[in-house]
Amino acid sequence: MVSETNLTEPATVDESVNITPEVGESSAPGPAPEVVFDASGVDVYYGAFRAVRDISVQINKNEITAFIGPSGCGKTTVLRCFNRMNDLIDIARVEGKITYHGVDLYDPEVNPVEVRRRIGMVFQKPNPFPKSIYDNVAYGPRIAGVKENMDDVVERALRSAGLWDEVKSRLKASGLGLSGGQQQRLCIARAIATDPEVLLMDEPCSALDPIATARIEDLMQEIKDKYTIIIVTHNMQQAARVSDRTAFFTAEVNPESDTRTGLLVEIDSTDKMFSNPSDERTENYVTGRFG
Amino acid sequence: MTLDHPVEPLRHGFREELDQLRIQVELMGVRVDENLERMRQGLRSGDVMVADAAYTADNEIDAMNVSLTERCYLLLGRESPVASDLRFIVSVLRIVSELERVGDLALRVVKLTPKHDLLVRSDVVFDILLTLADEAVEFFRVALRAWSAQDLRLATELATQTRNLDVYYERLISELKRLDGPDAVRIAIAAFAAGRALERIADHSAIIGARLRYLITGEPAHLAAEVR
Repeated sequence: MVSETNLTEPATVDESVNITPEVGESSAPGPAPEVVFDASGVDVYYGAFRAVRDISVQINKNEITAFIGPSGCGKTTVLRCFNRMNDLIDIARVEGKITYHGVDLYDPEVNPVEVRRRIGMVFQKPNPFPKSIYDNVAYGPRIAGVKENMDDVVERALRSAGLWDEVKSRLKASGLGLSGGQQQRLCIARAIATDPEVLLMDEPCSALDPIATARIEDLMQEIKDKYTIIIVTHNMQQAARVSDRTAFFTAEVNPESDTRTGLLVEIDSTDKMFSNPSDERTENYVTGRFG
Repeated sequence: MTLDHPVEPLRHGFREELDQLRIQVELMGVRVDENLERMRQGLRSGDVMVADAAYTADNEIDAMNVSLTERCYLLLGRESPVASDLRFIVSVLRIVSELERVGDLALRVVKLTPKHDLLVRSDVVFDILLTLADEAVEFFRVALRAWSAQDLRLATELATQTRNLDVYYERLISELKRLDGPDAVRIAIAAFAAGRALERIADHSAIIGARLRYLITGEPAHLAAEVR
């Protein structure tokens, strides 16, 4: 079960690809935030089609970074680069460099399974496994070979996801019997049960009602001390409410092929992006002047 | 090789509402300007009829203040504006209250119309008051022009320039101190009330300029400069 390049096994860890963050190693002066991801000049292709180009962005530790922009501008494509989910698409190809704590995420030595354990993902539609609530949460830790008492792991994850009190009396019931908002929080519990450092959230509230949405947003604020979060959202008010920094993406048309390529327009503090953005395209988008 | 994706204008209704709001603020400014003109006439001539017209017009100005403020609250609640739209609506809220204030200050001078006979007893003081009124009205008109054209240069001028009016105001005060004769105190009190109101009209016009400047630039330093 444990592959040779599994980075959880200390014996197989190559010094050069040790992706464990080393606290204190970055000797950046002053309050400069610790950089978790550093993407530079990233292009993503699906076959010959270039889906996004020239993405350069840094993601800071314990911050919530929101990706906003019109449909088809590559937000989700870029998000999926950060835990190598694009590897699962045969024709996808990532060029440029993405580092995770200074380690090249696409280094052949790096095990994508280990990457995804450290960098969890929550999807647009809640997608619990057709298993019990308990087993949904315990699934990841079991696969990762966690030795700790599984009851404790499950309780801790469900508490972190703000779901424990609602489900503690029916842990053996199916995860599919929960409401949409509860299912999404179950998916968050499942994602954090393996003790990741980063949570990637791809429109996690788009299928939820406003109350369930508010709960997830509160939850994000509560857990951001422990995790670094990137959220793709179509809801600009949500980006304004929950994120520390916001990145605005847009798309350009390639006239010969009539295809669209996404690009990053600007990234800045959320306050700045929603009060006085530097780029006119951002201003036009956030004020809803153009779509 | 590549072109920006053609984009379509959106939120037509909201854009029209914002345009309407800008025009309505301008209209309120014109109503205030008309009352400033009545104030100037009343000061010069002591015509009580002009004063009555000013009182009626001020009620209309107050009503516009209320209805524009309500419109702003409605748009804030309904449209969740951000960036320049948010600055615009908040600026409108603050600028209409400046306009309303200018209107009230004009009325303070209008209320002195029955004291016209008293004020004309000192030629020098009366002359300075008329000049102050001219300056204040002119200053307000620059603010109104700046708003209608959303003109950054005019707004900056209003917010930063030194004014002749302050020199006249200082002269008024020293002339008042020099007054003597049996009516000296009564003249001084009335002229001081008028002079002070006229000076404040110019101050509020400058604040309108400062608020407009921040609305246009969004510069934090310009917001700080509003609060003086």
